[in-house]
Amino acid sequence: MLKIEGVNKVFTNNYAAANTLDNVDLTVVDGEFVSLVGPSGCGKSTLLNIIAGLERASGGRVLKKGTEIKDAGPDRVVMFQEAALFPWLKVLDNVEYGMKIAGMPKQKRKEKAWHYLKMVHLTRFASSYPHELSGGMRQRVALARALAMDSDILLMDEPFASLDSQTRSILHTELQQIWRTTGKTIVFVTHNVEEAVLLADRVVVMTANPGRIKKEFRVQLARPRDLENVDLAFVVSQIMQELKEEVEKVAKAEYDSDWSLEKSTFLPSPNNNMGNGI
Amino acid sequence: MVFRSNIWPEYLFPSPLGVLQNLDSGFRDGSLFIAIGISIKRVLTGYMISLTAGLTLGLLIIRFSYLDETLSPLLLGFQTLPSICWLPLAILWFGIGEDSIIFVIAIGSIFSISIATLSGIKNVPPIYMRVAKTMGAKGLKAYTTVVIPAALPAIISGMKQGWSFAWRALMAGELLSPKDGLGYALTIGRDLHDMNQVVGVMIIIIFIGLVVDNLIFGKLEYSIRYRWGLTQT
Repeated sequence: MLKIEGVNKVFTNNYAAANTLDNVDLTVVDGEFVSLVGPSGCGKSTLLNIIAGLERASGGRVLKKGTEIKDAGPDRVVMFQEAALFPWLKVLDNVEYGMKIAGMPKQKRKEKAWHYLKMVHLTRFASSYPHELSGGMRQRVALARALAMDSDILLMDEPFASLDSQTRSILHTELQQIWRTTGKTIVFVTHNVEEAVLLADRVVVMTANPGRIKKEFRVQLARPRDLENVDLAFVVSQIMQELKEEVEKVAKAEYDSDWSLEKSTFLPSPNNNMGNGI
Repeated sequence: MVFRSNIWPEYLFPSPLGVLQNLDSGFRDGSLFIAIGISIKRVLTGYMISLTAGLTLGLLIIRFSYLDETLSPLLLGFQTLPSICWLPLAILWFGIGEDSIIFVIAIGSIFSISIATLSGIKNVPPIYMRVAKTMGAKGLKAYTTVVIPAALPAIISGMKQGWSFAWRALMAGELLSPKDGLGYALTIGRDLHDMNQVVGVMIIIIFIGLVVDNLIFGKLEYSIRYRWGLTQT
């Protein structure tokens, strides 16, 4: 069980203080798959980093099974948007890295690394270097590396955001299966609502400035899910409705004041001369 | 061609044939081999010292930030000082001879190595450290398994630069405080007005510098660049 209690995060620079996270409470049950969605700058990645222990909260606390999280640790592995594989290590060594740090005997960690490479279907590339792989393959290696840590919590920070949509949908299927077989708790940050609904048991919508939890949606659809499903599309549209307001709010703050989301409902063609020169 | 045109007398501009003959006789009686051996021994000793000291200095500065603030500008300043400028000081400290030459070699390459180490480590992408942290690597372990391998390409190129500095410092040292070695062979050539020997030794110096640069550091760099995927295929 992961318990987030009244977490605040204030970023200050010379000019202003930004309330990135404001009193966030969230409880994640063991084995649950939770997605955080929200407009850019709503602090969803910051929240994930605080859970991971990579950043410190300005206030409040995060409890894992009753003990407070103070530092990063191998019990909460993070998968980042970039694969961030170590370029000086071969794929297999990359997967073994965490286990090596934990001091696992060589034979055992090799077997385990193979097991997880098999899970992401990359055994053929075990002795390649990361630069020889495609972006999707690298991300799969990163997934295998994270899984190999055997942590009960897996934190994912937009792990598929930089991939092309075909690769992404393959990885969605794989992730669903892996989550089913390993029974891990997953906190998944994304800005893609479809992705969130496709994968998660629960979708948490966040607001920006200050970063708060706006609403939670429980997704009770049968698995494995796929994007063409009508029910899924319905849930997506519901969440989108909620999110649209937030996105507009953020855009208003970032864009010029004459900007509005409604403007482009009619797109005039530049070739349309309205009957001039009849 | 330039030689044939007879613009300069032979004692100022030697014939290629004369240079080759000189090299041949030098290699035959072994005197050049001895000179090369002595010079290489010196440069290796000096280089090893500077490698250890330079790497340690770089790592220490990274470890303690107040050292970074105080020593970094100093290092940069020292690096701009040509190594030959250390020679008077070295002679006063160690006397004319082996020690002062090795000191000049070491001091000539320490700074470029430590500066390269420093900037290499500073430029390690922070994401690697974040990954290492979440994988449970801390302190020294994170250092040896992530920071140093990630900085290695920069460190290697610093070592390469350090080598060429060391090689130059060696020549400067041997020219000015001579008993033996390649630099001494150059001085002898000058004293005897033997242009053939001067040019011959210069060729040897270029040759050795190139060989070490290409064969040792070139290979090392290539293998690292290949691993990192920086080579074009």
